[in-house]
Amino acid sequence: MLHMIPGDPVSIALGPRATPEIQAAYAAKMHLDKPLIYQFLIFMGNVLQGDLGADVFSDRSVTTTMAEQLPFTVTLAVSAIGWAALVGIPLGCLSALKPNTWLDRFTGVLSVGTIAIPSFLVSIWAILLFSVTLRWMPVIGAGESGNILDQVHHLILPAFAVGLGWVGYLARMVRASMLEVMGENYIRSARAFGLRSRTIIFRYALKVAILPTITLIGIGFGSLLSGAVFAEIIFSRPGIGKLIYDMVLSRNFPVIQGAVLVTVGLYVFVTLIADLVVSWLDPRVRDSL
Amino acid sequence: MSINGLSRRALLQSIAFGSALSVASSIPGISFSASGGKLTVRFNRDMDSLDPGYYVGGHPDNDVNWCCMPALVHYDYVDGMAVWAKSPFVDRVEVVSPTRIEFKLKSGLMWSNGYGELTSEDVAFSYDRMAQSEWKGDYVAYDRTEIADKYSGALILKQAFAPFMTQTLSSGTGVIISKKATEAVGGKFTNDVPATCGPYVMEWKQGQYVRMTRNPEWTGTKPQYDEIYCPIVTEDSAAALAYEAGELDVAQISSDTYARYLKQVPADSKLTVAGALQYMWLGMNIDNPKMKDIRVRQAIQHAVDVSAINQGAYSGTAELSSGIVCPGLVGKRNQTGYSYDPAKAKALLDEAGVSGLSLTLRTLNNQERILASTIIQANLAAIGIAVEIMPLDSGPFWEMGQESKGDTWKDMEIWLMRYGSGPDPYGAFQWFVRDQVGIWNWERWSSDEFEKLYVELVAVSEAEERHKIAIRMQEIMEETGAYVFLTHEPEVFVHRDNISPRFAPSGETMLSYFKA
Repeated sequence: MLHMIPGDPVSIALGPRATPEIQAAYAAKMHLDKPLIYQFLIFMGNVLQGDLGADVFSDRSVTTTMAEQLPFTVTLAVSAIGWAALVGIPLGCLSALKPNTWLDRFTGVLSVGTIAIPSFLVSIWAILLFSVTLRWMPVIGAGESGNILDQVHHLILPAFAVGLGWVGYLARMVRASMLEVMGENYIRSARAFGLRSRTIIFRYALKVAILPTITLIGIGFGSLLSGAVFAEIIFSRPGIGKLIYDMVLSRNFPVIQGAVLVTVGLYVFVTLIADLVVSWLDPRVRDSL
Repeated sequence: MSINGLSRRALLQSIAFGSALSVASSIPGISFSASGGKLTVRFNRDMDSLDPGYYVGGHPDNDVNWCCMPALVHYDYVDGMAVWAKSPFVDRVEVVSPTRIEFKLKSGLMWSNGYGELTSEDVAFSYDRMAQSEWKGDYVAYDRTEIADKYSGALILKQAFAPFMTQTLSSGTGVIISKKATEAVGGKFTNDVPATCGPYVMEWKQGQYVRMTRNPEWTGTKPQYDEIYCPIVTEDSAAALAYEAGELDVAQISSDTYARYLKQVPADSKLTVAGALQYMWLGMNIDNPKMKDIRVRQAIQHAVDVSAINQGAYSGTAELSSGIVCPGLVGKRNQTGYSYDPAKAKALLDEAGVSGLSLTLRTLNNQERILASTIIQANLAAIGIAVEIMPLDSGPFWEMGQESKGDTWKDMEIWLMRYGSGPDPYGAFQWFVRDQVGIWNWERWSSDEFEKLYVELVAVSEAEERHKIAIRMQEIMEETGAYVFLTHEPEVFVHRDNISPRFAPSGETMLSYFKA
């Protein structure tokens, strides 16, 4: 795909004024003077030996770069999905337990609103309000390494911006599942046996209704690994998304290939974990495995 | 009641203020920057490589090297003109003849990591290596370094080369590296510099920041700030917001932000134009059948409203251009031989017997260029030329005029182009000589007089003579009809008003010279 982007990668990477010698050295270093299939085989051969290659400009190992950048993206994704789940799941439950009331309608409008607003807009508004006007929150960076308090302080706005849309998704998903589950025969039976509402909701209904939400959280986490790019750019946070964006602009192929491979691997891993959690919670799924 | 002249109230106020200050300082995100201790400066992009022989060049690699590595000369300014001046690493640098530059290093300047003292052998090693490196083009006139003693020597040029001091030695390619340390790592390095020597030492986190702190071994003049923290903020609008939120002390800003700040500068801030070494023009391919007639090209020169482009695309923040030599440099032209005159343009087209002409205007697809293209489209429509705008990504754009990249150059008619220059007019003219036709001279003209003047410009060192040569060279370019000179975009920085900055003419920061 990268090779299909118009333009000579050497000219783009080095700028228009690089001498022919610099261009030739760069092309050789990136194996651009070899056929595409050969380049792919070199990359895959190195990957199988645990070598993701080296940054074309700085010569740093791509593996080292990944190891440095990945924790920032994972932290941001976990924080964003985490707070979204903490707010979205109870909102969805409340909405389902009081259907067609003002609370349900308010939650519906709120959910659709949060889904509809792009995260980059939320980022900018949040910066203008909390950083520029009130000066409560920092705008750029990920905080001093080793200073947990500072890092958390730098995480609040990006996590808020990235997670806001997921509040709506999760609330709508939980509401729909809960409504379906609350109409099931075993819930009616539980009511007929005189169980308390709290027991019915938390012990029987939510346990089943939450299952599709867990799958959604898994998918959401995966998509945030690369989807956090807006927040990472606007807040100048290190991370995989921003790394890929910067490297695509400079056509630094080894880093792009390494970052995409790691992101895809992580996505598969997270989806697998979500499926395992669902099977652990749901005997029907477990038995079918 | 008072204690040694200090009233009880004043004492309590001082204690309260001091306590508040210390508490506030401990809260993350609240810092009292630019107070002499820490300076926070935006870096627009991450470092690529600090090895002057094999780096990509420009910001931020030069910004860092000028703080952490030696050089014989640095940029300075006299009456607003960029000049070379001896660096803090030398006792003496003198151009004793057009081909001989003598120097004497300061004694006792130590390389880090135990690589000993900075010596004339390091100077010779560095420049001999540059002459063989990927940047050997900058050292085309360099012959050798004669070592006189441990600290003294002379650079010998093969021929007189006027830009050598300002274009070659003062820029990033003039950085000196440690011979022993470089050889110890195999002759090349990137960002893990094997030995540094300068007022600052550097710590780098890829994609995050560069932090420079005082070098405890530095025996030269102490720089102002204990720490210079440079977060990497690639997005212009994010940088402006971070500056307004108080997180940055110095930030380069985009033309949009510049226009906004010109109306209202943020509190306690100043704007500084570091330079305007960009030159933008509307180019015309004189080999294209539609553009062969010089009267058509001259008609276009008269039809384009350059002021409207500056207002529409750059919010009036750029300097109008009259040639390719940029503001502040020897050879800057103040007036073109043509002016905006649609009636004259129409008359020239009629004289050429051209009607119903349609042209394709190729441009990079960024906001400013598209706006400028739209204005040109309207200007040319007014004289009966229909223009189709073709926005291009940087890849196809930068190779379209190069014969080695295909046949697109044959189809090129008109285009918007911008080049960057060094602090010497040579830096601009080098792309328009005969050898560059089909490489970077996309207008595809050549002139014997221009070639002769180019050789003179490089050899002559007397400023007034060089000025005359550069002016005539730009007149020749204009007379081809292949250029409508448009703008010089400025490199603008916003900074706290208690900071006195210094920038290279090409827009890099010279952080060790910043003062509070």
